[in-house]
Amino acid sequence: MKNRLKVLRAERNWSQAKLADELDVSRQTINAIERGKYDPSLPLAFKMAKLFGSTIEEIFTPDAET
Amino acid sequence: MKTAGQNISTAEETKNVITASIAGASMGLLYAYGFEFGMGIGLVVGGLFGAAIGFRISRRPPNMRYPMALLRRTLMAATFLLLTSFAYSYLLDQGLSQTQQKWAALLPTLGWAVLVVSIGMAIASLDELQRRIQTEAIAIGFAGTAIFVGGYALFQFAGLAEVNVGLVLLVMSLMLLLGKFWTLWRYR
Repeated sequence: MKNRLKVLRAERNWSQAKLADELDVSRQTINAIERGKYDPSLPLAFKMAKLFGSTIEEIFTPDAET
Repeated sequence: MKTAGQNISTAEETKNVITASIAGASMGLLYAYGFEFGMGIGLVVGGLFGAAIGFRISRRPPNMRYPMALLRRTLMAATFLLLTSFAYSYLLDQGLSQTQQKWAALLPTLGWAVLVVSIGMAIASLDELQRRIQTEAIAIGFAGTAIFVGGYALFQFAGLAEVNVGLVLLVMSLMLLLGKFWTLWRYR
């Protein structure tokens, strides 16, 4: 799954630690999501969407359209 | 709840040092009894060692989301395991009847159960990725240990080896560590 988390975070000039604090997860989790190593759970994805004022689809896109 | 990543108050630091020194003293007691070098020395050296670790944890907390209270609870569970192990060693040297010996031999099992529950609670308090890392590490550790024990049992059936529980526990710990490194690398 691809995501725009890094871009959205950079737009706000937030560090990974700041975003991790906002989402109540570890910095390691944010790093893994940004690098595409880990896909977050649906509740965490909704939390991210709410934080960035967008929808899940605007943040996450599948690797290949089916 | 305060997490390990935050600044730690003096009161919390004191609690950490006391809990860690009690755990250290219990370990020292067990070692002193096992290696017969004086329980007083074991208690003091172990207690000081534990206090140093408690101080270190408070001053430079590990980069994890473990709330300090959970870390202390795990230390207390480890203390309980060490004390039940000490009681086991001590009681078995007291010339008990066979039935009493059986009950004494089961004592550390209680300690293990308490430790496993407290580690489970600590894992449950982690965030979703850290929980996955721990769970996958445990799964890899379990599978690796099962393969090792299976092979070991075949060696025993063939009369080539005697099962050594200490070796099995050592391999289990190594497999768990291996699993942890593997999953950490995978999600790095």
